[in-house]
Amino acid sequence: MILALIFSIIFSLAVGIIAARNHRAETVIIPLLDVLQSIPILGFFPFVIFAISGLIPGQAGYSLAVVFLIFTSMSWNIAFGVYEAVKSIPQDYIDLSFMSKSTSLQRITSLYIPASLSRIAYNTQTSWAVGLFYLVSSEIITEGATRIPVRGIGVDIITYGLAKDYTAYFYSILLLVIAVIIWQFVFLREFSLWAERYKFVEEPRAVSRDPLMKFYHWVNQKSVSKLFLLRPARGATSLTASVARYRRGLKYAILILLAVFLVFEVAATLNSARAGLAGFNLSALPSDESRVLVALATSFVRIWYVYFIVIAVAVPLGIVIALNERLYNSMVPVIEVIASVPAPILLPALVPATMIAGAYAGELTAAIVIFTGMIWYVLFNVMAGIRTLPAELFELRASLRVSTLQAWRNIYLPAIATAFVTGSITAVGAAWNTLIVAEYFVGNGTVPITQVGSGIGKVIVIATTQNDLSTLALAVLSMTALVVAFNLTVWRRVYHFVTKRYAYNR
Amino acid sequence: MNNPARAAILTARLPRVTGGPSERIRAAQPTPDQVGSSSGPSGELLQSGEGPIVDVEHVNLSFRREKGEMQVLVDVSLSAYKNEYVALTGPSGCGKSTLLRIIAGLTMASTGMVKFRGQEIREPRAELAMIFQNFVLLPWKTSLDNVVFGLSSRNDLADLEKKKIATEALEDAGLGGFENVYPGELSGGMKQRVGIARALALGPQVLLMDEPFSALDNLTADRLRREIYSLLMNPTSSIQTVIMVSHNVEEIVELADRVVVLSPRPGHVIVDLKIDLPRPRNKKSDEFMLWVDKLYSYLA
Repeated sequence: MILALIFSIIFSLAVGIIAARNHRAETVIIPLLDVLQSIPILGFFPFVIFAISGLIPGQAGYSLAVVFLIFTSMSWNIAFGVYEAVKSIPQDYIDLSFMSKSTSLQRITSLYIPASLSRIAYNTQTSWAVGLFYLVSSEIITEGATRIPVRGIGVDIITYGLAKDYTAYFYSILLLVIAVIIWQFVFLREFSLWAERYKFVEEPRAVSRDPLMKFYHWVNQKSVSKLFLLRPARGATSLTASVARYRRGLKYAILILLAVFLVFEVAATLNSARAGLAGFNLSALPSDESRVLVALATSFVRIWYVYFIVIAVAVPLGIVIALNERLYNSMVPVIEVIASVPAPILLPALVPATMIAGAYAGELTAAIVIFTGMIWYVLFNVMAGIRTLPAELFELRASLRVSTLQAWRNIYLPAIATAFVTGSITAVGAAWNTLIVAEYFVGNGTVPITQVGSGIGKVIVIATTQNDLSTLALAVLSMTALVVAFNLTVWRRVYHFVTKRYAYNR
Repeated sequence: MNNPARAAILTARLPRVTGGPSERIRAAQPTPDQVGSSSGPSGELLQSGEGPIVDVEHVNLSFRREKGEMQVLVDVSLSAYKNEYVALTGPSGCGKSTLLRIIAGLTMASTGMVKFRGQEIREPRAELAMIFQNFVLLPWKTSLDNVVFGLSSRNDLADLEKKKIATEALEDAGLGGFENVYPGELSGGMKQRVGIARALALGPQVLLMDEPFSALDNLTADRLRREIYSLLMNPTSSIQTVIMVSHNVEEIVELADRVVVLSPRPGHVIVDLKIDLPRPRNKKSDEFMLWVDKLYSYLA
């Protein structure tokens, strides 16, 4: 995990800085990152296994595949953070570094890297939990697909659970939680706090007496002094109209391709829904493919109904917690720890519990797993949205003696709109990845302990275990196409509209 | 703006303290159990002409910090009377904005109290309105809706009536025709005008302004300053007292009847001066310059 994180950060820094400073690179990299971020990762994991196991067989190969997977899950997010951070460095600082004639390396170490640090820290916290999810899921899938016992916490926990060895199950989860807590407080928190000092906004902060902080302080001073060395200055570049056109052109090309795919799929789904699974009629597509597309449509609907439940819970909860200082301070560490426990681990306990739903047990289990995968994104974003509101907005509310109901309608809900959309985009994206675990789960046996009637996650897992490459390819590609197309058409518009109208900036 | 008919609407709509207590005034005031027991002599509102509208009595404010207690305000007292435009000034960090918020009821003093017409101020009230340095408009609402939002606490008014009052307030503030424009499309000066309209819509008696012109460019600020005195202190306005925090000396001498200077932190009152220059004030006159120099000498 740590390995993947380090690689991620290095990669992200490189990509993010290049993209932010070199406009030609920007036009290619950013749309590419956009697409890559949308692709449900676990969908590609089966391919990654096949590819890497071909090259490096055995235990090492699978471990490498897992590292690679986690790396990809974290990188796009962090790279975007770096890009945004470097792009928003006030021009004055950049001019200063050019005028002081510092070398590129100095600029990187003393300007770009410090500027990105707070974003990296923040994104690392969220990426960490995500990485853990993938770690556990990939251990499970690897095992399922290849029958080679893979060592890892995830597998161990699931095994205990399935064997009904509840004491071992419970204790291993506890161990995981404790490990997460320790990691959280020792590393992540320090990292965040340290990175805070690199923000451009002046905020009075209490200086910590902690020896760790003193070390960071020293490092900071060393790098700041390097800023003022001499080197010939260069002129600043500006974004030209032609570069902007490239970006748009690339976007439209991707959009059109995927729109076509999407239309195709929708037509297939509608068609098969009308004619029933057997004997539908969409030329050139054998019935296998229609099954896949129906599964895709079903998963789509599934994700969306869970989404509405998620927002009904997360939005009010997030606002309430964030508004109350004491509640916030006590709840956040708890929530962070709970959020770090990957959903697959809970399955052995969940499955017996949902038996009461009878025929719908599989659906209920899937819904719960997807729910846990989505809710943290929305919750954290909503809370962050409230926390970043300026104090004067609350003063205005108090001075006008606005009632609670009016405050929610007129102030709080609109104010979190942008954060809410950002959280939703990430949450829905994450939901697709949970399908691989939520819709069909085998664990270490051969009989699934939970499954839904129809779903793309199920299709993918079964195709992987049966080495059915063509179905697998169709499933993964169509899912990716749908997700990316949806991102580009729907989410992009919504985000643009919301940031224009609802962003609070004076 | 000085249309008698419109003035009648504004004053008829929003209760004013005139002679003896009237029923509508009673209805608009907080009930006795909301007011602290240690209020004025009889626990009732003092009528006009009987004393200070706003009374700050020996206010102290301190915070507990890691290194110990941090004193922000020390024994600050001042009184603001009817038809007075009071300026509150001092170097950065002296606590003048904090003092304004204590008067507004947004913050509680550690010791001492603030009174409005003899009643202790513990929380914001309709009679004291606030205008912010950074405007604080809701970006997702139009100018008109922002002013209507200012009328949120008036549950007795129908939406249509609120819109009417808001429209008039915007016109008075000089923004007629801009009702359906969003703050994102307004300039700084116009945003502050919306802020002014919002504050005046409730017909407050006291206007509290926190550096209202410091976020504006010089030209716009000049224009607003020239308009603000007549806007606030004319006979049809409900405003009886203005307390403005500012660190712009020329602005203070141009606008204020009285100026209270606070010392650097911890802030206490250095001097409380009456500026007796005749209105309209001539910024180029010798007396004006003398006053500016005098004020600077207290601030240096």
